[in-house]
Order: sequence, then structure tokens, then C-alpha cells
Amino acid sequence: MRRRPGLAGLQAAATNRDQFRSLGEDVAKARTDLMKEQLSVFRTQLEEFARKHKNDIRKNPAFRAQFHAMCQKIGVDPLASNKGFWAELLGIGDFYYELGVQIVDICLATRAHNGGLMDLEELRGHLMKRRRVSRDSTITEDDCIRAISKLKALGSGFEVFTVGKRRLVRSVPTELNKVHNQIIEAAQSQGYVTAEDIVNKFSWRTGSVVDALETLMKEGLVMVDDGHPDGKRRYWFPCVSAMDVDSDESDANAT
Amino acid sequence: MEQFKMPYFYNYPPYFTLQPVKDTREKQIQLWKELILKYCKQYKVFVINLDEEFPLFGNSAIERKLSHEARELFLGALVAEGKAEWLDKAHHKCLILWRSITDWANLILEFVKENGLEDGVMTLEEIRTGDETHGTDIAGIDRTVLVRALKVLEQKGKAAMFKGTATDDEGVKFSA
Repeated sequence: MRRRPGLAGLQAAATNRDQFRSLGEDVAKARTDLMKEQLSVFRTQLEEFARKHKNDIRKNPAFRAQFHAMCQKIGVDPLASNKGFWAELLGIGDFYYELGVQIVDICLATRAHNGGLMDLEELRGHLMKRRRVSRDSTITEDDCIRAISKLKALGSGFEVFTVGKRRLVRSVPTELNKVHNQIIEAAQSQGYVTAEDIVNKFSWRTGSVVDALETLMKEGLVMVDDGHPDGKRRYWFPCVSAMDVDSDESDANAT
Repeated sequence: MEQFKMPYFYNYPPYFTLQPVKDTREKQIQLWKELILKYCKQYKVFVINLDEEFPLFGNSAIERKLSHEARELFLGALVAEGKAEWLDKAHHKCLILWRSITDWANLILEFVKENGLEDGVMTLEEIRTGDETHGTDIAGIDRTVLVRALKVLEQKGKAAMFKGTATDDEGVKFSA
């Protein structure tokens, strides 16, 4: 059957469209409501979780790592802001801000000694010693790295990078090239190198090795030692030789 | 006497070599200055003789010792601060003032008042090694330092030194 276009036909089409639109809106609304409900359930549960485990998160490093993994999966950064309900609820922001402040403090205190480069494990040792007074919680390297990544926002040049088997924390904006990194890596076993060690190890020219060592020395990352009986100059790297700088300071405060 | 704890840098070999980089060297000098004063105070050392071995300037555990140049530089830095004085032009002997002359003078004055010696007479030897000062900070004070401190008190009119027939008869009359 062939129908010609008429008023009734147009009206029917318009009615259909309205009905479809209203149905669509209903469905969308139902979905939104469902989402809202789910979110509110999620939030309630999370609040409960946070209340229950707040102390665990602060005290237990393994738990803290798992909590971060969970947050990452659901796409939430609990450290992004201290105002969000995450941070308010968990105090987790405060935990890392406090850690960050202590890290800056330690890096500044030891900078004259190590030129602003410090072994991550050594930094962790300092942190543990400093915090033991107030709280008996354990700090992991993971915690340090998280806190340092937040310090980057300050544009202060804080960074963690890997040299050989170790991770170093840099608190000054020194640009180290590949040669420098390899020399630091070579120094890790004994805490020092001689120019000869480096020349033999990498087959570089003596001249360029001495140049690189001099550069590191000017940056305050290396100290020379001419006192060994064999007469060979040793280049010491305070950043890879663990030393108890902090305990001296506490002594000085005590007297 | 409690055991003197050496600071971390005393066991780190490069601190025994003068550092060529300015900032590092300044830090090194600062650390050594503090250590010298602390050590001398602990062991009541008043004079360091650069021609003799001084235990602080070498660490046998790491087989390192300071060169003559380094020793003179560190002591010279203390002299520049008024915390030490060369006793000769050739810089062989150095008087270490871990307590300033004025502070020594005040300490003696305090001792005099506490012991009711306001009009008393004491020989210098008595002050240094006598029973009255035994157990106080004054006991064992270097003779040069003591004479200088007493001169400060003389200028304030609180003491008058007089000479006896022998050096160990030299005395002082307090009038605090």
C-alpha cells in the first residue's frame, strides 16, 4: 500500500520521536541513579575501610603498598591533594608531607658532606632514626620514593635515579652524564676509585677520566685522598659511603 | 672521664687530605676546627706543638694523618677566629682557647666568691693544682692562660699579682 505524506503521518512520526527520547532519558536517568547509588555505597565502604585500617596504613608498610596498588587500579591518587576526602579520611597525605619535609631536612643537613647526592638506603636509615622518637613505624624505600615524587612539584630538583644496583637521591640540580654515572657505579664497591681503576675498567683515556673526576669534584660529589701509602690518589664518593652524620649532630645538640 | 667519641669524618680518609675545591675545603676546615676545640676541652689540652705528634691529627685505624700544612691551616683558622693564638712567630706552638680569656677570668672570679676568698691570697701553683680548685674546671689550667686571665681581673681591680722569690711563689691577692 502506498501512502502519501499527510498531517497524520507527520504527527505520528513526531510522537514516536518524543516517546523514544523520553525512554532514552529514563534509561540514562536510571543508569545515573544506579551509578550514584553504587558510588555512595563504595564511598561508605571506603570510609569504613579507612576508619578500620587507618592505623594499619600509617604503621604497616606492606599494607600501605597494597593500599597504593588498590588506589592505582581504581584510578585515584590519594596524594594528589590534601583537601580531598581521601586525604582527610586517611591522613595519608599528611604522612607523606611529613616524610617529604623530613627528607628535605636530611638532604640539606648532609649536602655539605655529600654534595647533594645520597644513597636512598642511607636516607631511609636517617629517616628511621629521626622518626623513632615519635613513632615506631617502618618507612620503606617505596615510601621515600613516593614522598620525593611529591617534592618534584616544588621544582626543587629532587629526584631518585638508579646507578648500578643502588638508587640515589639527588637534591641538587646537577646534570650527571653517562660517564659520571658509570664512575659512581664503579665506586660503589669500595666507596672510592683511583683514576687507574677507571681506566682499566672501561678502557677510557686517562685524560678524560681525570676530567670527569675533576668535574665530580667541583660539584662537591667527590673528595680526594692522597694519604694512602701506595701514593695513588683516591677519589671518595660520600654519596655511596654510608656514614653516621646524624649521630654527630645529636651529640652536638646534647652538649 | 667519659670516652671521647670521634666524629664520623675522623674515620673518612679524604678528610685527612686538604681538599682542593673551595666549598669542600671550607666544610673540612669547619669540621676540624670544631673537633680540635672539643678534643682539647675534653682532655684539657692548652698547647698544641706542631713539631710533636698530636694524637688527634692522625688516625692509625685508617692509616691517615694530617700534613704539617693542613695542621697549620686548621689551627690558623682557629687563630683567625680568636679561639687560638700562635705562641711563636714560626707557628710551631699554638695556644688553644676553647674557653676565652674573659671566660676564664669570670670563672676564677666565681670560684673566689664561692669560696669566700674575696680578700684571700693564693699562689698560682695553688690555683692550678691546689686542693681548693681540685675538681673544678680551673684545676690544671695552663700557666699562660691563668696569668692572662688574672691580668684581666687586675685591670678590673679585682686582683693584684705579686712576685715571690721563685716562680712557684708567684701569687695573687683577690679583692673582689
